[in-house]
Amino acid sequence: MRFINLIVAEAKMLYWSLRRYMFNTVAMLVVMFLIFMGMFWGIKSIGGSGVTGDSLDSMLVGYVLWVSAMLALQNTGTEITSESMRGTLEQLYLSPMGADKIFFVKAVINMVFNFVFITAMLYLSMAATGRWMSVNLPYLYGMVLLSTLSLVGISFMIGGIGLIHKRIGSLIGILSFGLIGLMLLPTYPITPYAFLPFVAGAAAVRNSIVRGHVYPVWWYLFITGNSLIYLLVGLFVFKRMEKKARRLNKMGQY
Amino acid sequence: MSQICIRVKDLVKTYKDLTALDRISFDVREGEILGILGPNGSGKTTTLKSILGIIEFDEGSIEVNGLSVKNRRKEILKDMGAILEGARNIYWHLSPRENLTYFAGIRGIPKKTIIRRIDYLLESLELSSVADKEIRQFSSGMKQKCALACAFIYDPSILLLDEPTLGLDVEISRTIRDWLLNVVEKEGKTILITSHNMDFIESICDRILIIRRGLIISHETVASLKEKFARKHFRIDLESEPHSHLLDKIATLGIVSVSGSSISVELETANQLIPLMRILGGADTKMLDFHTVENDLEEIFLEVIREEEE
Repeated sequence: MRFINLIVAEAKMLYWSLRRYMFNTVAMLVVMFLIFMGMFWGIKSIGGSGVTGDSLDSMLVGYVLWVSAMLALQNTGTEITSESMRGTLEQLYLSPMGADKIFFVKAVINMVFNFVFITAMLYLSMAATGRWMSVNLPYLYGMVLLSTLSLVGISFMIGGIGLIHKRIGSLIGILSFGLIGLMLLPTYPITPYAFLPFVAGAAAVRNSIVRGHVYPVWWYLFITGNSLIYLLVGLFVFKRMEKKARRLNKMGQY
Repeated sequence: MSQICIRVKDLVKTYKDLTALDRISFDVREGEILGILGPNGSGKTTTLKSILGIIEFDEGSIEVNGLSVKNRRKEILKDMGAILEGARNIYWHLSPRENLTYFAGIRGIPKKTIIRRIDYLLESLELSSVADKEIRQFSSGMKQKCALACAFIYDPSILLLDEPTLGLDVEISRTIRDWLLNVVEKEGKTILITSHNMDFIESICDRILIIRRGLIISHETVASLKEKFARKHFRIDLESEPHSHLLDKIATLGIVSVSGSSISVELETANQLIPLMRILGGADTKMLDFHTVENDLEEIFLEVIREEEE
């Protein structure tokens, strides 16, 4: 029950922030809408009316993967930096729930809101263009959420570094850039790249939705294991850095 | 006698070559308001943050309600609130009501159980009319009141307030003082406060701890501190301006200063009061009034620091 209240609080916080900065929220939605419109019209003008849905599906999956991966990777690090700059970080550390739980919930809530916005803008642009796609969105979002957990783990590591070094924008930038490469690596049947974070999940989502590949259950278990291991390692590193920040009195001082 | 709810024993905290806390020990009893005074960098905030577990100390122990901060921090935090960076501790882009709801929520407390508490805090801190407005637009005093409300939202029995009146005017400081005194009386809270505002500390605290360079140099009740330092300072109003020979006699007992027909005397010991009265009795001018001058806390604080330096 206590954990649900934390989830509700973080969902409300995100909603209040989106409402307070309405201009930014609307701008974000408009950009998302324009990207989808661009996808639809672009495909139509290149391929004409005979183009198959595959290219569009591929672009949509690629977009969702890219946006979600960036969000997962950047979330905890940027949250810690902004909470620290505001002066509210120490208050989060006074919660008996623990700051790691709070930041984890923030990351998941952000992801869920992102899915809601994507879905809304996707349907709006489909209605506007009159072209309806048949992507299995629950499967897409479920798999994206599962595979980006590994990036949430990496984000916790970055966040841990942020607790001590505060300015971590450059590190986040470099890692975000590296993500583009990760999303294109081959993973199945098992390759060394599959052990990297997010890679196996991203490839499975793309191939199953766009190319109709069917993976065995063990492959989904492998992706789950990969995500959980990165998440747990990320949390462990975060805890270690948190301890160091406590020792050096770096918590909350920007 | 009320129970001890915070026990700090032989606390040591060092940063490389700097000793921030050097074996400090003290207790705080239930329902008590303890003030921590000290120059900048003396270790006040480090003490508070160590109690909250935000700073990891090197040696010693801290117990809150019998639980060790080192091993049972999460349990302890359920009953402890704090303001650490003044009004920066809250979200300025949200309203007071939203902040209160959020801070309860991240502690796992649902809004429905604290609706009354939110209304009570907003009303008692005179924030009801701005409850749904963005805090960014508020004055410093109102922001500080919001931070105070957030620290009290989940009704903790122990509050740690770091500089709760920093940068506030006299009126708001008094409002906050009166509110805190009322809460302590009604709800029996235990409060630990650091401040540079001596009037505030003097009027609110039961006991005062003076820290300097990580060491406790004084630990007494406000009354005993004042008694210790104020008893030797007197002001005498005379019928006419005193002659120099009278002043010379008084000067043998202590430091004398004259302002018109008033004399201020600071005696070296309280025992010199009788010789002073004898001198005044034999004077050629009549004594109209005799006052014991109480040093204010600021003077006492400076004197304690001075004594420690010597």
